[in-house]
Amino acid sequence: MINPLRSEAEAFRLLLYVLVAAAAVAAVVLVARAIL
Amino acid sequence: MEAASISHGHPADRHEHHGPPPANRSSRVEPQFLGMLLFIISEIMVFGAFFTAYFFIRVVAENPWPAEGTELPKLIAGVNTAILVSSSFTMHWALEAAKAGNRRGLQAGITTTFLLGLTFLFIQINEYVHVGFSPADHAQGSIFYGLTGLHGAHVAIGLTLLAFTTIRAFRGHFTPAEHRGVEVPGIYWHFVDVMWVIVFLTIYIL
Repeated sequence: MINPLRSEAEAFRLLLYVLVAAAAVAAVVLVARAIL
Repeated sequence: MEAASISHGHPADRHEHHGPPPANRSSRVEPQFLGMLLFIISEIMVFGAFFTAYFFIRVVAENPWPAEGTELPKLIAGVNTAILVSSSFTMHWALEAAKAGNRRGLQAGITTTFLLGLTFLFIQINEYVHVGFSPADHAQGSIFYGLTGLHGAHVAIGLTLLAFTTIRAFRGHFTPAEHRGVEVPGIYWHFVDVMWVIVFLTIYIL
């Protein structure tokens, strides 16, 4: 992914990646808060 | 005006070009896409300034988030997030339909995207009415309204672009060969969604 905003398809793929990354970050933080 | 009527060179050298000469292109990227790319890069910097203020308030100054005595409607914001993310799927569907020459699919996809975006904006305005604090109450309130309001303004801009695209879709302006009028607003719409996912994560979840 050289330029994620070169086309609509690449931008849509970037959104999917960001969704997965955001879900992972939220899961890690919420689990850490529950444990600590 | 007389000079304009004088022909230059051999008649065989004349060509039928009218109007200004074609603009010089220094990039392999098409001008419409390059313009949107530069615009989005500038927008990322604007959002970066707001996120800097947010992290300064929360991490550097160690203020509680949200402010004491206030609560953010996480469930409603989560539903709103699902609405906005689903609008990106319908946007993608609309462009794929345009590429396939499926005019009805394009019209349905782009109209649904517009309506989902409009719903998101209405829910956000409703949230402002009921959230129980104002931007003037505390720093947390300022940055909450600043970040979500900045994003809401981008949704409004996106809806304006989508309105034009929807009208053009119903007028039959797009073909499988020429659909930049769908693709460029689509890039912007996905950018708006990406920014919301980050805003939702930092403001409501973390």
